Amino acid sequence: MKYIKRFSIIDRVFHLGLMLTFLIQTATGFSRLYITTNWGKKLCYLFGGYENAALIHHRWGVIMMVLFLVHVIYLLPKIKGKRIFGPDSLVPNLDDFRHAWQRILWFFGIGSPPKLDRWAYWEKFDYWAVFWGMPLLVITGLMLMYPMVSSRVVPGWSLNVASLLHKAEAILAVTYVFIVHFFIGHLRPSSFPMNEGMFSGCVSLEDSLEEKPAWVNRLKEEGQLELATGSPPALWFRVLYFIFGYAALGFGIYLMVNLIVYSRYVSLH
Amino acid sequence: MTGMKRCGAIVLISETLLLLTLIFTPRIASAQGEEVASALRRYKEYEVSTGYYEEYEMRPRHERSMVAIPGVRHGLFRYSPSAATVRIRTRLADSHLGIKFYDNRRCEDCHPKQALDMHTVRANLTCRQCHGGEPIASISHYFSPMNPIRKHAYVCAKCHEGSSASFASYVIHEPSAGSMEAKTNFPVLYYSFWFMLTLLVGTLAFFIPHSILVGLRELLRKKEKEIKDADEVH
Repeated sequence: MKYIKRFSIIDRVFHLGLMLTFLIQTATGFSRLYITTNWGKKLCYLFGGYENAALIHHRWGVIMMVLFLVHVIYLLPKIKGKRIFGPDSLVPNLDDFRHAWQRILWFFGIGSPPKLDRWAYWEKFDYWAVFWGMPLLVITGLMLMYPMVSSRVVPGWSLNVASLLHKAEAILAVTYVFIVHFFIGHLRPSSFPMNEGMFSGCVSLEDSLEEKPAWVNRLKEEGQLELATGSPPALWFRVLYFIFGYAALGFGIYLMVNLIVYSRYVSLH
Repeated sequence: MTGMKRCGAIVLISETLLLLTLIFTPRIASAQGEEVASALRRYKEYEVSTGYYEEYEMRPRHERSMVAIPGVRHGLFRYSPSAATVRIRTRLADSHLGIKFYDNRRCEDCHPKQALDMHTVRANLTCRQCHGGEPIASISHYFSPMNPIRKHAYVCAKCHEGSSASFASYVIHEPSAGSMEAKTNFPVLYYSFWFMLTLLVGTLAFFIPHSILVGLRELLRKKEKEIKDADEVH
């Protein structure tokens, strides 16, 4: 079985960093939002109480922010003319809307599945959802972290708005990641038990030919397919990322279930 | 005997006069004439009474940058509709003046929503820790510690060291973000709430059915393929 390269080591490190910071931020942040419930209290004990959970949330928030800034710096030299709208770019284009429509029809058995290129429309959405959410969370987060400083620049009542936006965006991100992203990455039949691409960096040619035929064709035309006959990832590495991936999945589902169960006992403020 | 009678009459008249003067004299307030007392003592006295402060200590400023209170407009426009219901009590020295059985009531009997904010629920603050003891002056009363001209220094700064007037414009008893009350009193909060809710519902309304259909369609395709493969073998 042939393997083709999909993610560079840098992409994978960014994803790993995002996973770690995201899970920590979710657990510490929501343990504080849910502090009035029994579950929230228990989760907060895990981080050393209400105050300490905030401290951890702040520290890891800064790490998350730095990772995001590094990612933006990493992106800057990649912006080159027409390639922004090219098939290797994550920038959405008109084809994505066409593909989405074609695929929805295909769900109901009408027509053939769209000939997707390297990045499908839902993958682009995944990326840009994080990309838009991150500045919002960072700005509102910093405002709440340094209320005295921020109220010098903006009126103090914008802290009410910042607090609301921070929580609402967190709920949006957590719901999307723990339901939609996890389902796409782990549970749908073509990914089950796990879509390994983001950890091993390569995907099998067979799977790609089925889901992303345009990408494979393009590689073939460019003559890169002959070069990109990667070997499957080492077994020890696969075991490692399966354990890690499933730990994250389990923790995420545990959080999501409790967030839904206890949601009627908390309000946004 | 006449001497005794005269004496009694003098006592009666003087007592009546005394009672009359008691009626017409102002209430005894310990804060008066305390300029020389220590700052700490003055501060305490200030807290028990509605507070008397010389005008030179704290004057309202008309031009303050970046300070505004949602729902409170000075000048151009009238009070908001919801403020109209409490307008009559916004400038009293004792905001609860004339309320029946006031002594036997708890704050949350009449202000249940106000007891559910973050300061009360999370930080376990009591109402009195910010609003002070009796009598509680109206927020817009000139000498009230809650008056926005000095709230940051006399209330917020007790815990939030270095709080500014702008910082103090943080709305503690914020209206429920999606409510009509918020729309009139705090429109920014109201619109950001509905924007985020629309975004959340919109995203999930597309991607949850999308995910379910992906799962279903791929499952069916897998079955199709298995049947095909089995046919090819035979």
